[in-house]
Amino acid sequence: MTIDAVYLLQLTLNGIALGLLYALIAVGLSLIFGVMEIINFAHGELLMLGAFGMCFALPVMGLLYWPALVASVIGVMLVGFAIYEVLLARLRPDEFERSILITLGLSIIIIHVMQYLFTATPRMVDSQFGFDGVEIGAIRITWTRVIGAGVALAAFAGLYFVLRHTQFGRAMRAIAQNREAALMVGIRPRVVARNAVVLAAGLSGLAGAAVAPIQNVTPYMGQFMIFKAFALVIIGGLGNVPGAVVAAVGLGLIESWIGGFYEIVWQEGAVFVIMIVVLFLRPDGLFKRGGMRVG
Amino acid sequence: MKHPLPLAIAVALAFAALPIVTASNYLVGVGVSALIFTVAAAALNLIYGFTGLLSFAQLGFWGIGGYAAALTVVTFGGTYWMGLVYAALLSGIVALVIGYPILRTNRHAFVISTLTFALLVALIARDWVDLTRGPLGIPNLPPPHAFGVTFDSPHKYYAIAWVFTVAMLAFLYALCSSRIGRTLVAIKQNEPLVRAQGISPMPYKLASFAIGAAITGAAGGVFTFYLRIIDTSFLDFYYMQTFLIIVIIGGAGSFWGVLLSGVVLSALPEALRFSADFRMIIYGVILVVAMFVMPTGVAGWLRERKLTAMREQLR
Repeated sequence: MTIDAVYLLQLTLNGIALGLLYALIAVGLSLIFGVMEIINFAHGELLMLGAFGMCFALPVMGLLYWPALVASVIGVMLVGFAIYEVLLARLRPDEFERSILITLGLSIIIIHVMQYLFTATPRMVDSQFGFDGVEIGAIRITWTRVIGAGVALAAFAGLYFVLRHTQFGRAMRAIAQNREAALMVGIRPRVVARNAVVLAAGLSGLAGAAVAPIQNVTPYMGQFMIFKAFALVIIGGLGNVPGAVVAAVGLGLIESWIGGFYEIVWQEGAVFVIMIVVLFLRPDGLFKRGGMRVG
Repeated sequence: MKHPLPLAIAVALAFAALPIVTASNYLVGVGVSALIFTVAAAALNLIYGFTGLLSFAQLGFWGIGGYAAALTVVTFGGTYWMGLVYAALLSGIVALVIGYPILRTNRHAFVISTLTFALLVALIARDWVDLTRGPLGIPNLPPPHAFGVTFDSPHKYYAIAWVFTVAMLAFLYALCSSRIGRTLVAIKQNEPLVRAQGISPMPYKLASFAIGAAITGAAGGVFTFYLRIIDTSFLDFYYMQTFLIIVIIGGAGSFWGVLLSGVVLSALPEALRFSADFRMIIYGVILVVAMFVMPTGVAGWLRERKLTAMREQLR
């Protein structure tokens, strides 16, 4: 196969879009880990709920993309709020294994309840954009993909602003950097943790809503994503938000390039091989965990 | 329990009688699953309950063992018994190789890396089609023979499963109640103190990871030949969830508690006959509720009740 420039560019753009999607999930995991030192195993299910939200909201809203997107994201944030209040609020910060087992149970429940209610048949989601696309030279990308990538970028810009310039974000970073000191200056960890979980749920729901028109929606779609996101969070350094973004976009590119030139097995396995190599060379991940430093 | 050993022997003999008592292939089949799942759960208990390392890699070793045993017989023309040995050896060696880098990381990264390893094994099983035949799987595994007997019915296969289970559980019991077992518990409870006593935790952790892996691998091999087919569904996350729930309900770190819950939880869903989806929902609910109501499992709950009763008496 000759490497032609248009094909390579197409792969690169796809890779960036994929990487931004991974990043939305990985950042949420990293945020929750930074504040609570726990891993949310049910995070992929939030993505799936976002996609299902899109599935049901779009027909109701007359296929209008934006109102449906907002409705699903808000819905998933409410679910995140409920998960925090009912389950996660009862955990202490050092109960890492317990958090995994509880959220694993939650993930099993959500997946199988959804499958019981809506069957495992993949659903296609139609939006106002249909399969229309934009053409740049010889490359054609559908609008839903362009918007998905744009929404993800906007979300990161928003997240950066929130973490950097609002009291709400500063409190989150303070807890992640030094829990005791944050308590001493009067930051309430419970409120901060709740905010982090709701914010992370929103990002995951956004990812789900953005992919719904691009790929099939099934109750299992979250699982494929979440395992990769776990590996990404480890590669980027647990609790390191920018590290997770860099690792996610890097992986999206690598997967897309590999997928373009080699067999699919290498594409799927790449992340796990990279993770094992990274852990061997740098047990704490590529970027050291220095709390949640943004910028 | 003051005398667990005579009781354990009595229960083991009662289990040996199952195929004699019933002619139903279905019931004996449930018995085989219960025995093998209990072994796998006991191996997970060694790593999670005793050493305190939550490992999802068990699923990967279960699959490696299953495929190693099946391929030894079908592709490489070995016997069933060699297949089981290779299953245990290969799982153990892989555990040593991946265990070294991931045990050096912190406990958070350990959990996630083991999970990732299990998924990697599942991907290899699906995509290395030349070796594993991918999603088509390898059907019609030949039944094992020994001493002129062909173990071709569930009733006969039960004998293999029973001997395997008793041997593995006896080995695990000896290990857990030895000085090594106590060192593992010490590592779980206070690793800096273990270091201060001049014991390096790494070889102990690595050994418990590898031994647990070898036993899980052999259990996977035995289970494959009970199913008589291996395909990618052998690496379904369902198995891992089952092992975990058995360990948690029984009480992580309690040898007998896990055995009890292994038998009960393997038999219960069959007895209640739920549909697969509904069974998983129940499992999920049990897992969440158990983590809040009795985080130390049935064994821990009983121990606490005993302690409270003793305190009452002292008053």
